[in-house]
Amino acid sequence: MKKILALALALMMLLGIAAVVHAEDVEITYMASQDWVQDAEIALADKFTEKTGITVDFQIIPADQYTTVLMTKLQTGEDLDLFGSQAGKSDIVTQLNVEKNAVDLSGEAWAATVDPLAAAETSVNGKLYGQPAQDVSSVWAVAYNKKVFEKLNLSVPTNYEEFKAVCEAIKADGMTPVYEAVADGWHHQLWFCEMGVAIEHAEPGTAEKLNNNTMKFADSAAAKQLVEQIKEMADLGYWGDNYMANEYNDAAKAIAEGECAMTVANQGFPADLNAQYPDFPAEDIGFFVMPLLDNQVLNMNPVGPTRFIYSGSANIDAAKQYLAFLAEPENIQYQIEKVSKFNTLPFTTAKDAYSPEISAFYAAYPEHGTVYQTSVNYVNPQWMEIGKELVAVLQGDQSADDMLKNIDRNRADQATAAKDPAWN
Amino acid sequence: MNKNRIYPTRFVFGALLLYSVLFVLPSVMGLGYSFTDWSVYSDSIHFVGLQNFATAFSADYNYTRMLVNTLRFTLVTTVVKNAVGLALAVLLTKQVKLLNFHRAVMYLPCVLSALIVGMIFKSVLNPKIGLLNTFLRGMGLNFLASNWLTDSKIAFRSVMVVDIWKGMGYIMTILIAGIMSIPQTYYEAASIDGGSAWQCFRHITLPLLVPTLTVTTVLNVIYGLKVFDMVYSLTNGGPGFATEVMYTGVYKEFGLGRYAVGTTLSTIMTLVMLVAGFFMIRHMVKGDGQEI
Repeated sequence: MKKILALALALMMLLGIAAVVHAEDVEITYMASQDWVQDAEIALADKFTEKTGITVDFQIIPADQYTTVLMTKLQTGEDLDLFGSQAGKSDIVTQLNVEKNAVDLSGEAWAATVDPLAAAETSVNGKLYGQPAQDVSSVWAVAYNKKVFEKLNLSVPTNYEEFKAVCEAIKADGMTPVYEAVADGWHHQLWFCEMGVAIEHAEPGTAEKLNNNTMKFADSAAAKQLVEQIKEMADLGYWGDNYMANEYNDAAKAIAEGECAMTVANQGFPADLNAQYPDFPAEDIGFFVMPLLDNQVLNMNPVGPTRFIYSGSANIDAAKQYLAFLAEPENIQYQIEKVSKFNTLPFTTAKDAYSPEISAFYAAYPEHGTVYQTSVNYVNPQWMEIGKELVAVLQGDQSADDMLKNIDRNRADQATAAKDPAWN
Repeated sequence: MNKNRIYPTRFVFGALLLYSVLFVLPSVMGLGYSFTDWSVYSDSIHFVGLQNFATAFSADYNYTRMLVNTLRFTLVTTVVKNAVGLALAVLLTKQVKLLNFHRAVMYLPCVLSALIVGMIFKSVLNPKIGLLNTFLRGMGLNFLASNWLTDSKIAFRSVMVVDIWKGMGYIMTILIAGIMSIPQTYYEAASIDGGSAWQCFRHITLPLLVPTLTVTTVLNVIYGLKVFDMVYSLTNGGPGFATEVMYTGVYKEFGLGRYAVGTTLSTIMTLVMLVAGFFMIRHMVKGDGQEI
């Protein structure tokens, strides 16, 4: 009898412990690529825990491995509550299959406050599946040290030849003209994909033809010239000797310490640089658009890293609470204030914080275009592959033609698998 | 032979069941999926015949290069690990001061995770701030300082060298055991006959080590064909596609959502390993005077 009583008591104790643990330890996991989760969000997550008792476990994956890890986790249905991904109305269907893998967020109170342009890129059939995580007003452009330009009496280049002349002058002064970071695997292809606006300017209608499958990248003379100009920059030493091993996290250091004069960055870079190096004023950084193919079009991208709730999550309600908390107007404003690279966030409730210099930069380029990773289908899902293709060109292992043919082949593979009518 | 000393056949059933469920079944399923168009982009799966195999061997893709790289990695690391492991084993079976310390130092790398080794060597081989190039420049040997992991012409060699460094201690340990099992009387007899150190090695150590070397070769070949973690952690297949091997290719295909192509590559490697394993095991068993 005593044994039975002891056993029953032990069982009740175990059940009690399990119930307490279950009630108190609601934890949601949020997987994202590096640089997608800001310190401000982590601070907000702590406040969220204080308020609700729900903890957020951030799983940060190196950028060059992120897509592979995410796709594998989605396929295997591994433990995951929230995940980050680049949005894009085509890619969230063909690559992420959000209708199956993500939770419909249209009914959330904050959904109506998402900027309509950003909402269009995270919606399928009128249903919103994602919450924008970053400032999408910012563009990737050449950030330059104004002091270096003043010292060498240089002016902002408006075409490729002028850009080369600027680089030569900086090189002659003993500096590396451009800090380029290839080691991360995600940065150097910005020179190609962001300059889709220049291809479009040179050959109007290219994006539409690429989406209709009536044209290929390999057919575009402008695309070929673009790749060749990127290679030429590297070959002429404008990226320095160490660009293959450079990491983007060191870009601010390279500019602040005078090792390099320019880098491709977004408009949060000056404030970010100033936060790391207080002696370097943010106003000393200026911007101009990447002048490859003589580009003078501002390369807009209404898409950025976005938060999704995994449909297989056991904590969907907790994850929804977290997204609602982040979208509260004061928390959106908190992120804009605390994250130096955010000038605004794509919510109608956000108040922007553009500096006069950044406003002037945007005003200097009245013509706007959409970058190819958004306007051309099946480009963004192969972002890291395009990076590898470009490295193979830079290393002399393949030609620009080979690279473009390989991008076409990868697009065709994805489109065929997705049963895209233009390819089937 | 006393039949009572042989364990009953039923003893093998448990292991066989586990092996079948965990290894054979997934391999067979993988073989099945390699004839389909299974991908993340579509919920339905269709039979496509040999299309994925045609893709795997097509000149339009990098897969044949990955296969060649995998075979090259296997050949080079197997030969060099055996050679260096043997040299170390011979040295560390002599009367050397702090013998066990030396053995432990040489063995230590193989207990480290490949990912940790990869991260350490990524730092050591950094062209600008890495220990190796800093050392070479400090010695005035600037011309030797190279882009070890970022130059497509030498990156694969760097990966192989790091893998050899990591794996040679393990091979050395097995060969030390082999050498220590050789009776000392052979060496004494050779010494009385005036045999030199080289002659002793050539005519006593080496022939009697052949069975052990066969084992280390099998281990190295299987490891080399399966290599993934070392390449992944050091170069992730780059720069460009210079150091891609089959299993980084499989991983990449899964990441891109092309599951059928991924399983096809995996199936090809399973077949390669089955063929290699069959001939190597047959060779080993022949050495024991048995037939299979």
